[in-house]
Amino acid sequence: MAARTTSPWGTRLGFLALAATALVTFFPIYWMLMTATMPTSLILARQPALLPHPGLFSLDAFWGALARKPFLLWTLNSLIIAVASSAVSLFVAVLAGYSLSRWSFASQRLLAASLMLGKILPASLVIIPFFVMFSVGGLLDSYGALVLANVSTGVPLAALLMKQFFDRVPRELDEAAMLDGCSRLTTLGRVVLPLVKPGLASCSVYLLLMSWSEFLFARTLISDVNKRVLTVGLQSFAGEYLVDWPALMAAATLTLVPIIVLFIFLEPFLVSGATSGALSK
Amino acid sequence: MSLSSVEASPVRNAGGIRRKGRREVRERLFAAALLGPALLVLAALILYPLYKVVDISFRIGPSMNLARLGQQPLGLQNYARIFADQTLWAAVKASGLYVGGSVALAFLAGLWTALLLNARLPGRRFLRTVLLLPWAVPGIVASVIFSWMFDGSYGVVNALLRYTGISHADTPWLMNADSAMLTVIIATAWKAYPLITLTILAAMQTIPGELYEAASVDGATPAQKFRFITLPGIASAGLVSVLISALWIFVDVDIIFGSTGGGPALATSTLPLYIYNEAFQFFRMGTAAAAGVVMMIAAIVASGFVFGAIRKQRF
Repeated sequence: MAARTTSPWGTRLGFLALAATALVTFFPIYWMLMTATMPTSLILARQPALLPHPGLFSLDAFWGALARKPFLLWTLNSLIIAVASSAVSLFVAVLAGYSLSRWSFASQRLLAASLMLGKILPASLVIIPFFVMFSVGGLLDSYGALVLANVSTGVPLAALLMKQFFDRVPRELDEAAMLDGCSRLTTLGRVVLPLVKPGLASCSVYLLLMSWSEFLFARTLISDVNKRVLTVGLQSFAGEYLVDWPALMAAATLTLVPIIVLFIFLEPFLVSGATSGALSK
Repeated sequence: MSLSSVEASPVRNAGGIRRKGRREVRERLFAAALLGPALLVLAALILYPLYKVVDISFRIGPSMNLARLGQQPLGLQNYARIFADQTLWAAVKASGLYVGGSVALAFLAGLWTALLLNARLPGRRFLRTVLLLPWAVPGIVASVIFSWMFDGSYGVVNALLRYTGISHADTPWLMNADSAMLTVIIATAWKAYPLITLTILAAMQTIPGELYEAASVDGATPAQKFRFITLPGIASAGLVSVLISALWIFVDVDIIFGSTGGGPALATSTLPLYIYNEAFQFFRMGTAAAAGVVMMIAAIVASGFVFGAIRKQRF
């Protein structure tokens, strides 16, 4: 809140520092885009061009990547996994979040504590029992296994998030709806859910982002090349003996663009979420 | 707290004792039914795996046949074996360097960007989105981008060092131990700092402006205001964000997996990477699970200590 930079010179200097910092932190993404869209001769050189030459823009690296690896198939797989994992997690989380927000019997308290545990359980640890469980259950190499693994990390996060959104809807509203003859379930579906639409949207975006980015479960539980997701495909492509950098950066762009779109939706919520969190605790 | 909602309900006052009781039972049933799917997920996908990994860590003998893993004899050999393993201690050391380096760098970047965003500068709405973007970049994408930037032959980092005349060494960053560690630390800090920015920024916005005005009246310099007003105001939020970042960096494998793969010569093979390789490269589930349990306990004990220290300080 403090207006520390009151003089025009201070403001100018501050803006310069801010812009320079943004330039540095954006540079990796910028360089990925440059490598993916500029001719190889400009980039793979002793004196690489640091600025884009718009006239030389080409998508050759993308065609190269698609010709060498089934990136479109992997994109489709990523999409299926992300949508399925997020839908299941959201469904479970909405019901649990509402229950956690409105009641606090022993079962709710037990669930809330276990959800916290689930939130801190590292993927690099649970992947061991997951692999053993899915292997014994014959689920290895199936989308089902990967969706279940993603749900195990999605539900703790989403349920606690949804509880916070439900907490902002006054209880009196539920009671009024029930006085008017709504059942508990129609109260949730017709009265409360429409009021937490922004929360549902943020939560879905968050879940989609998480499962789209997920790597460890996908790399371990799926071995069939045709069932791979983008992140695993990207890593296998990068691990080849002679790396085709422009094609790799094109594939990285393919993975990142949906994320950037989702992030632009999510960013205001992230900022307000952090603020209200700090204010309430 | 939420029981009171049932009590306050006017419907309940209208009914007799009998209806009241039945209503309460239905209410409890409904509340429990909503939790059903979540409890199922919790039991099958969180609590059972947790039990299972502890169980596996005590199963000794060959673990090639996963279906029979649960019938192997119990013993402490896996724990004895990992503690005698030089590779584990190397991994602990690598983890210490990796977490310490990444968190320190991410904190400095987070503090710097929060200070910039907190000042009322033009263009900050747009630049805020740019500054927070690395948070959303998948670890694997970050790691392949940084591998390319730090490539020895055509990497842009070496080119920038040449252009600015700082170095003409053509360093193969990922090929030798120290520079490989530095590279993964930079990549990790890049992805980790926005979370710290957000938390510190939120804390800064709760510091009353009058404090700064009063300090100005008293003739405080900007450095003094930062030292005596800003820093105490963000200390506890900053510590919590550092702890949370340290925890996820400690257990994360994506960035190292996608760039160095733990190399060269295990220089960047951190504890979670050691565990992953034990389990899925050498297929020693028992020792992998034992190391995993140790990692989890270390994380919990460390965070307990830090939280305890924060409580005691009472910022």
